Amino acid sequence: MANKSILVIGGGISGLTTALEAAEVGYEVYLVEKNPYLGGRVAQMHHYFPKLCPPNCGLEINFKRLRGNPRIKFFTCAEVEQISGQKGDFDVTVKVNPRYVKPECTACGECVAVCPAERANTFNYGLDNTKAVYLPHPFAFPLKYVIDRDACADGCRKCVEACKYNAIDLDMEVETVHLKVGAIVYATGWQPYDATKISYYGFGRHKNVITNVMLERLAVPNGPTGGRIVRPSDGKEPETIAFVQCAGSRDENHQPYCSQVCCLASLKHITYIRENNPNAKIYVFYIDIRALGKYEDFYTKVANDENVIFIKGKVGEITEDPATGDLTLETEDQGAGQVVQQTVNLVVLATGMAPSVTAVPAELAVVDAGGFVISDIAQTGIGGAGCAHKPMEVSASVRDATAAALKAVQAVVGGGK
Amino acid sequence: MTKKQAVYFCTGCGLGEALDIPALVKVAKSEFKIQDVKEHPFLCGPEGVALIKKDIEAGVNTVSIAACSERVCYDVFNFGPSIIVERIPLRERVAWVQEPGDEDTNMMAEDYVRMGLSRAKVTELPEPFLVENPSKTILVVGGGLAGMTAALEAAKAGYDVVLVEKEAQLGGWAGKVYKLPPLVEPFTDLAENNIPALAKAIEDNPRIKVYTGATMESIAGGPGVFNAKIKHGGGTAEEKVGAIVLATGARPYDPKKLTYLGYGKTNVVTHAEVEEMAKNGKLKEVKRVAFIQCAGSRDPEHLPYCSAACCVETLKQAVYLKEFNPDAQVYIFYKDIRATGKYEYFYKAVQQTGAVFIKTEIPGVQVLEDGGKLAVAGKDIILGEDVTIGDLDLVVLANGMQTNAAFGEEVVLEDAEAEAAAAKEEEAAVKLDQIIKSNMLNLVYRQGPEMPALKYGFPDSHFICFPYETRRTGIYAAGVVRATMQVPAAIEDATGAALKAIQCVEAVARGEAVHPRSGDISYPEFNMNRCTQCKRCTEECPFGAINEDEKANPLPERTRCRRCGTCMGACPERIISFKNYSVPMIGGMAKSIEVPEEEEEKPRILIFACENDAIPALDMAGIGRMKYSAWVRVIPLRCLGSLNLVWISDAMSSGIDGVMLLGCRHGEDYQCHFIKGSELAEIRLSKVSETLDRLGLESERCRFHQVSIMDYYRIPKLIEDFVAKIDELGPNPMKGF
Amino acid sequence: MTAANNQASRYDPAFANELYSIENGHYIKQCMQCGLCVVTCPARHLMDLQPRKYFKAIQAGDRDRVLKANTPWLCTSCNLCTVRCPRGIPIIDVMHGMKLYLAQKQGVKSAPGALFSKTFFDVMLKRGRQWEAWLTQMYFLKAGPSAIKDALKMMDVAQPMVLKRRLPLAPAKTIKGKSQLKKIYEKAAALAKEGH
Repeated sequence: MANKSILVIGGGISGLTTALEAAEVGYEVYLVEKNPYLGGRVAQMHHYFPKLCPPNCGLEINFKRLRGNPRIKFFTCAEVEQISGQKGDFDVTVKVNPRYVKPECTACGECVAVCPAERANTFNYGLDNTKAVYLPHPFAFPLKYVIDRDACADGCRKCVEACKYNAIDLDMEVETVHLKVGAIVYATGWQPYDATKISYYGFGRHKNVITNVMLERLAVPNGPTGGRIVRPSDGKEPETIAFVQCAGSRDENHQPYCSQVCCLASLKHITYIRENNPNAKIYVFYIDIRALGKYEDFYTKVANDENVIFIKGKVGEITEDPATGDLTLETEDQGAGQVVQQTVNLVVLATGMAPSVTAVPAELAVVDAGGFVISDIAQTGIGGAGCAHKPMEVSASVRDATAAALKAVQAVVGGGK
Repeated sequence: MTKKQAVYFCTGCGLGEALDIPALVKVAKSEFKIQDVKEHPFLCGPEGVALIKKDIEAGVNTVSIAACSERVCYDVFNFGPSIIVERIPLRERVAWVQEPGDEDTNMMAEDYVRMGLSRAKVTELPEPFLVENPSKTILVVGGGLAGMTAALEAAKAGYDVVLVEKEAQLGGWAGKVYKLPPLVEPFTDLAENNIPALAKAIEDNPRIKVYTGATMESIAGGPGVFNAKIKHGGGTAEEKVGAIVLATGARPYDPKKLTYLGYGKTNVVTHAEVEEMAKNGKLKEVKRVAFIQCAGSRDPEHLPYCSAACCVETLKQAVYLKEFNPDAQVYIFYKDIRATGKYEYFYKAVQQTGAVFIKTEIPGVQVLEDGGKLAVAGKDIILGEDVTIGDLDLVVLANGMQTNAAFGEEVVLEDAEAEAAAAKEEEAAVKLDQIIKSNMLNLVYRQGPEMPALKYGFPDSHFICFPYETRRTGIYAAGVVRATMQVPAAIEDATGAALKAIQCVEAVARGEAVHPRSGDISYPEFNMNRCTQCKRCTEECPFGAINEDEKANPLPERTRCRRCGTCMGACPERIISFKNYSVPMIGGMAKSIEVPEEEEEKPRILIFACENDAIPALDMAGIGRMKYSAWVRVIPLRCLGSLNLVWISDAMSSGIDGVMLLGCRHGEDYQCHFIKGSELAEIRLSKVSETLDRLGLESERCRFHQVSIMDYYRIPKLIEDFVAKIDELGPNPMKGF
Repeated sequence: MTAANNQASRYDPAFANELYSIENGHYIKQCMQCGLCVVTCPARHLMDLQPRKYFKAIQAGDRDRVLKANTPWLCTSCNLCTVRCPRGIPIIDVMHGMKLYLAQKQGVKSAPGALFSKTFFDVMLKRGRQWEAWLTQMYFLKAGPSAIKDALKMMDVAQPMVLKRRLPLAPAKTIKGKSQLKKIYEKAAALAKEGH
């Protein structure tokens, strides 16, 4: 008999959307998220373009929808390990990694006070540290702590002793959950393209070359700098900033496709910087500015700012002055018809989107050369939604994820017979 | 239902240490006469929950949990649909933001207990509003690519569909093109026009009823009970439908306005004309062609926005020009090539055909006669010099698109106009929805016959995270009528809109609200005996959910309602109530606050906060252990739009020293999930000064702040500033009266 | 007179197509004008058309400019642009193709770069390895009187080079199997003529 429940892999904005939209039609949904919290990549953003509104606003509504909907069951710290079967009748094995904190956690925070160990804060892209026991971020949903066991000191049990609610179990083991579902939607989202692979931009070598996602964390009030956009090398506010577009996108040595969001993301970042520092001077090096539809208004707004200079030309080399930490970009300014050297305090690489899909069963679904899941959910029972499907911005991801919900519904309605 | 109330105090998470729990217990027992009052050191733990469950088995049906915020432990404190649960957020909103053990802290906690218990006393379990035989049929207006996609996708999910197309056959704009741009991997090859196949699939689908040569005469009712009258074949057909997808498409930008780019000259044509030529085999002799991108688009004098599809359309035509005539030479004058995503592959493929791309300024290029042929002159920015491409057989203007929703007279609602003019004098009026009589839906709605238009006439969503947000419940715009987009996006958009329509009919069948209060079964009831026909509810409802009869009585269409309570806030007679949310209920919470005598020098400030954004922000302040004044008492509202002014005047007359409203950002980039709620609240507040004057009070005692969910670090400061202002003004002279 | 005649040599698709048909020439079509090649090129300051603009001129069918440009002759085959080109254009192969095309079309005397290349290969073939001092002399002699004047101006570079033994005045040993090298060269030249 056809199984009518739907599995959504990934609890970011796309996965949440597919799960909620399908559940609100009336279908049973399982949502599997690998992080200890839901919300995914957008939870790390300061603002959305072009409205410049906080992502947590929409996430909160989605969490509210989730809280009130008995048809969704979600797992955090969980990964899909194995999928077998066919449309309408899949067997799925989900591995639930130990959180080391039980559901009884009240998020009182007593454990953090006693924890002696630290770990790099992955939520802030390693720009600061947290304790080994930590709340992933202030808006984390579910609001439960988690322990990075690799960071714990040997034999330390201070948190266990501090917890009044017996909510910490340092010996927690991996759990395996078996699910039967009729359709599977990969909404595993994206990862920033690894900028160290573009060696001539010096990311990882030059301290003041950062990526666009790092800038989000610097701009956000609950980020590592409390919302101050400063240089990693000396904590100083940059006066001159360069944006390097297509850092890894539209490039056959890296990602041949256009990531679609980076132009607008940089325009948005410019608004952060201009708000932070009214004197800041900004250079944008680009091939084409791709602001589709009404996003053009946003481009026009930023382009009209006389402190923002757009230069057509892909940046070739970035060199660092070790004394000042300043960076010199070399590019061909095609408007001026000459090679120019521009020295700035901070460089932001507009790195594109790499799909973060892993281990999609090749015999059941179609994955393109770039790693995007492109099969039609209605036909095969498995497909992608949002940035696991193709590169796109939040609004398009939500639209795509809503469409994926219908495709999944179609798969389970007609599937398996 | 006869209430049997019980109250549970959690003493965990520092509550036991910070608060004088026995004093709180006393409030419950002596002031509210509740016998079942219990404490537990870990209420959300298994033992604590078991304690509550045991009492429920023994007959308790109204549970007040004085512990943490309703945003956490929502699952463990859910005891099923027949048990009322009220949360008293002592942790995030008292203990974690105040000095532990302080007298003022405890007074604050006592007031929260009073507010919670007074609410629990009067709230009732909502029962869903169920319509008889709700229709689950989806009406799709517009039979182009998006409309056909929506129809077919809905049918594939098992729903009946009525598809209405104004032309004699299905297809719309896409039906008229020669070929489509690439739609599948590897995104390098043109797609055959699949519209005839799609039309055939629709005709063969027994679930889809197609009306061609038909338009909407009228649509009355609401989700689940729409009565759609379809004008067709000289008569009128009637269909009962549950939800609607509006997919009436866009039209090419009028080329007559493009004379500055040579339109009017022989062989200067538009994209659409090239499609026509291709279909008629007229491109075989065409050898030299220039395309001018952004013809009208990205131009403040014409269409300030980017039409999104023209770059890819030009690339497509460049490819088939070469197919018709292998000797064809294509020149493309462009500003930016916007072949986003995987269309980058297509861009490269088109370059491989030998098309020449010339980056230039548009406007700025000139189309000239060239000895019987045409020439395009402009600056080649990349080459850094002026160029003239001559000997051209054809110049194609990529003339962009305009939503069909933008065409028509703007509707002027008589009353509204008069009132808007009057309100303007007061310098505070909600900007009325712009309704353009595009003759697409012809809704029989008091608020006008079409979807409200946003910028440039698009009936779009204002939300990044909710692109299907709609101001007309159950009606979802899809495809290029909603926003400019490329073909694959239109297909996705239509599929998503079909899902939303399906979801809406299912929600109506269950008696539930749709987004953003999805699942809510409460709905507003009108006590018509006391209605004074003032029309405020009909005018202020952001979703056009209330019609009027000839005598101006409100006629609420329940299934259009989104349960925000804006009507409740608007009603001066307070005749609109939900079972679990009403003017007396919230007023009762405010009145339950104990106002100390003037001599005690303990001012009281009442905050009404949006539960979607300001309340989570306040919770964040709590989680971050930020400190703010102990004088404030916060009451969450569904939306600031539900704020009724009587609460403010009552609070003031009972001696509350100040009232603060925390709502969402409004204006052009509004964040209010109910569109206008926050804005309406601010306008209402501006009108309260009269009342305050009457009471002999300063209008500064009331203040409105637009806050976002991320403003938690700013809220304590806002509160402190207001407290300072109140200190400056001195105590409310109404205290003690 | 039409506008096209006005710019007879520009935007001539026939010329562009001619160049697209040389070995690897078709790759030029896919250049998206990002300009990365320009920044990576160590010889760009000597080029009258830097690589990106050179490709643009080819795409535009700008006959005069392309034929006059020294661009391919100055390509050092360092390969940096080729490995970085985001559109996957094998730029040095394109440059080789252009050199062959130009040499066949115009002969080697017309462009200084071409003459240098020819001399370079002649020296190479004779000895199996390069003899820089001889190459320099041969080149300047072939290039004519004005080139000799130019050469004299560069004595300040040459002298220290000689002293530092970077420009040996005596020839190095001839390689073994010189005849095989010659065969390879002849075969390659024959293949080139066949249009491979």
